[in-house]
Amino acid sequence: QSTALKISHQFPGGTLEEGDFRDRLCRMFAAEVQKRTNGSLKFEVYPGSSLMKTNAQFSSMRKGALDLSLVPLSYAGGEVPEVNIGLMPGLVPSYEVGAAWKNAEVGKELNKLLLDKGIVIVSWIWQAGGVASRTKAVVDPDDVKGMKIRGGSREVDLVLKAAGAAVVSLPSNEIYAAMQTGAMEAAMTSSTSLISFRLEEVSKFLTSGRGQSYWYMFEPLMMSKVIFDKLTKDQQNAIMTVGAELEAFAIKAAKQDDIAVATVYEKKGAKVVDLNAATVKKWQTIARTTAWKDYADKNENCAKLLKLAEKLL
Amino acid sequence: MSHGFEMEGKGGPSGPPVPDDPFVAKIAKVLDWLNKAIVSISMFAMLLTAFILTYSVVTRYLFKIPTDWQDEASVFMLIGVTFFSAAYVQSYRGHIGIEVLSSILPPAVNRFRLLLVDIISATFCMFFSWKSWTLFHEAWVDGQTTSSTFAPPLWIPYAMMATGMTLLSLQILVQLLAAATNTSNKGRPA
Amino acid sequence: MSPLTLGVLYGIVTLVVMFSGMPIAFALGVVATGFMYFFMPAASLDTITQNVYEEMASITLLSIPLFILKGAAIGKSPAGRDLYSAIHAWLHKVPGGLGIANVFACAMFAAMAGSSPATCSAIGSAGIPEMRRRGYSPGFAAGIIAAGGTLGILLPPSITMILYAVAAEQSLGRLFLAGIGPGILLVILFSGYAVYRARREYAIAYKAYEQGGVKSAYLEEEHFSLAQKVEMLPRVLPFVILLIGVMVALYGGYATPSETAGLGALLAMVLIAVVYGVWRPKDISPFITSTIKESTMLLFIIGMSLLYSYVMSYLHISQSAAQWVVDLHLSKWMLLTVILLMVVVFGFFLPPVSIILMMCPIILPPLKVAGFDLIWFGVVMTIVMEMGLIHPPVGLNIFVIKNIAPDIPLKDIVWGVMPFLLLMLVAVILLCIFPQIATAFPDALMGAK
Ligand code: NA
Ligand code: NA
Repeated sequence: QSTALKISHQFPGGTLEEGDFRDRLCRMFAAEVQKRTNGSLKFEVYPGSSLMKTNAQFSSMRKGALDLSLVPLSYAGGEVPEVNIGLMPGLVPSYEVGAAWKNAEVGKELNKLLLDKGIVIVSWIWQAGGVASRTKAVVDPDDVKGMKIRGGSREVDLVLKAAGAAVVSLPSNEIYAAMQTGAMEAAMTSSTSLISFRLEEVSKFLTSGRGQSYWYMFEPLMMSKVIFDKLTKDQQNAIMTVGAELEAFAIKAAKQDDIAVATVYEKKGAKVVDLNAATVKKWQTIARTTAWKDYADKNENCAKLLKLAEKLL
Repeated sequence: MSHGFEMEGKGGPSGPPVPDDPFVAKIAKVLDWLNKAIVSISMFAMLLTAFILTYSVVTRYLFKIPTDWQDEASVFMLIGVTFFSAAYVQSYRGHIGIEVLSSILPPAVNRFRLLLVDIISATFCMFFSWKSWTLFHEAWVDGQTTSSTFAPPLWIPYAMMATGMTLLSLQILVQLLAAATNTSNKGRPA
Repeated sequence: MSPLTLGVLYGIVTLVVMFSGMPIAFALGVVATGFMYFFMPAASLDTITQNVYEEMASITLLSIPLFILKGAAIGKSPAGRDLYSAIHAWLHKVPGGLGIANVFACAMFAAMAGSSPATCSAIGSAGIPEMRRRGYSPGFAAGIIAAGGTLGILLPPSITMILYAVAAEQSLGRLFLAGIGPGILLVILFSGYAVYRARREYAIAYKAYEQGGVKSAYLEEEHFSLAQKVEMLPRVLPFVILLIGVMVALYGGYATPSETAGLGALLAMVLIAVVYGVWRPKDISPFITSTIKESTMLLFIIGMSLLYSYVMSYLHISQSAAQWVVDLHLSKWMLLTVILLMVVVFGFFLPPVSIILMMCPIILPPLKVAGFDLIWFGVVMTIVMEMGLIHPPVGLNIFVIKNIAPDIPLKDIVWGVMPFLLLMLVAVILLCIFPQIATAFPDALMGAK
């Protein structure tokens, strides 16, 4: 008797060895858990939103209609405002700080909150991002003044607006076309997505996330608590252990993509620029009074989470 | 040009077929009135959507003022138009199906088939309405919004979806009642 | 039950429910919900409305009503009639000239719209009545528009190509360019057939008249002096202004694709108000109403078919079918044939968007290993999916036509599109023999891969 669990994500599908690392992580997780539970748990991975729309994943998990998903946590910000902390500009300045969350107070608090909402965090995954631009390199906040740019989340948009940018909102599948025509000059997203959206074809500048960045996104592998609770202790242990073990792979792969994206854009003739501690600080300063404040004002939980996260800075 | 929809679109002398039973006819008339009112509002909403999207292009170009709400406002508006108009479309049997059996089956069997189709359609739409209302309730209680910067509340489109599906269910039920009480076999596509 | 057995059951139940005469949208919803109830966790039923909402709440999808509005404003006002009069005046000496004009009009509109039903509706609402007025048989007129409309997803911009490029990790710019050659090939094939068919219908009408029958509109002798022809040219202007205006807004970087939909609709309304004085509520309400009816019908089908494909995906039906094919370890061209056949079968019920989302993750890796160029395959797959748009039982374009011209029996429409299905098959075969039809253009512009 074996149980088949479904893992859904929005990223391009590949194999165990090749492709988008977030898809690979799901497949590695599936293979390893199946092995350790002697096949009592089996998995089906649904890449590229082939099971359901990205935004439907979180609430489907809460209801027990979807078993697992690897998805940027902040996507559920409209449903659970607290999770917006998963993409808060400047709040996580490096992979090391991100990795420290899990066992720090902020991680425990976030974990508790999500358990309350019916979600189990299986694997803590952070990813840096950058900016692809067709008009000029985006390094300092001053660079975005008057620029038509897509931040992609409420928090990032708030910071960009405060920096004087003309924030554009459009669905992610239109980014390429909008960059090509110039309806949009720049887009901010994760390193891996900067590659998979093929924006290097329409960009002249890349702000890379290697080394330093103010843009770190939390995209954990999560599981429905209703489903999790139905499993045996051994199965639960296998899931949590494998999830934790894969965190090292995630950091390594994410860092590789930060470097790979620079190579891909350079090959296409784009100019690649990096951030330093001083520039990251500038963005953080703006974020403090805009995105952070906006978030903390939402409710008590948000204020508390932010405070705990700041302790790690 | 005289093509189906244009004649009907004016409300026409006919409107949707009137049921034989006076009581059913009365309900049908109320629904018909409601549908027409909704379509008038929908027309306005559609033009407004076109205007909003154009407005955002113009303000961005002329005044360098970006708008970040136009897409979501448009989505809400068009979701509203789609769901609210579903009953109106149904009143003219405008949701298209494959009608090959009607010419093959004997009339009595055909009538039974059509009744069955309406019963199942109505059941599905009622189920969908019910689940839409629960979705609306969740969004209302939790204060859910979309996850964008504009972040409008989600109960708005959910309420429109729920109301629209409820109206659609009602519409099919009335048509079902009419078909059950009609003495002649009218109001069905050939 | 294995996913494949379940898949066969799913297909059979769908066929039965659809042929019962239940509206397509409800039929898809009923089958999906029914299978959810029997084969999926109870919690799934709680998510159906959110799933449908998330699928529909996309500005890309919802630009369809606005594209339809733009088409209706032009097509159902005197603007459309004037355009066709002008084209007819210039092309009436060419047999099938109006048919060719319609194919070209579809191609032009396809270059503005990202979806096929929108293209179909925009050109069809003026094109079908005009062709029928000139004596074209209803099935022929419907076939031209249904087939011409499919160009909407082959000629850039295209919603489905965007999804494919992401799934296949291929260059979207390259893919867009690769659609242009085959698009032109189809325009030529469709036009050629239009000439052939119009000549045949003319000959039949002529014979019938000679034997004392009614005089078909085909046989009306018309003469236009050069002065008359030149005089008619300005009437084409509104359409040209609209086309260019929207193109400039889109390719000039002034508007995002979704904004273009709104801009185009508004521009069309302004044009007919200024040029034809069509602006009073009583003038414009008929075609806005028809737009609402058409788009509501379509979006309901699309929304429910996404629910339908969700169930299919959840039960692993589509994935298992694709996996089954892969496991057959076929030779290169057999593999392609079988995969394309599967696309055809899925096309019976599903719109292109769903087919791409469900099939690409499984079929693309083996195709790549077999040595196929994925850009080329993307174009071939698009044409095969286009065929799905015009073949029964679920062919979105057929439903659009049924809505524009409700008096044409479904049977006539279906027979009318058959020759075009064959032509598309010819195009696929030509593409297999001469892949350069697709790849030459992007190679020339972006350098060989
Ligand atoms: Na197109
Ligand atoms: Na089809």
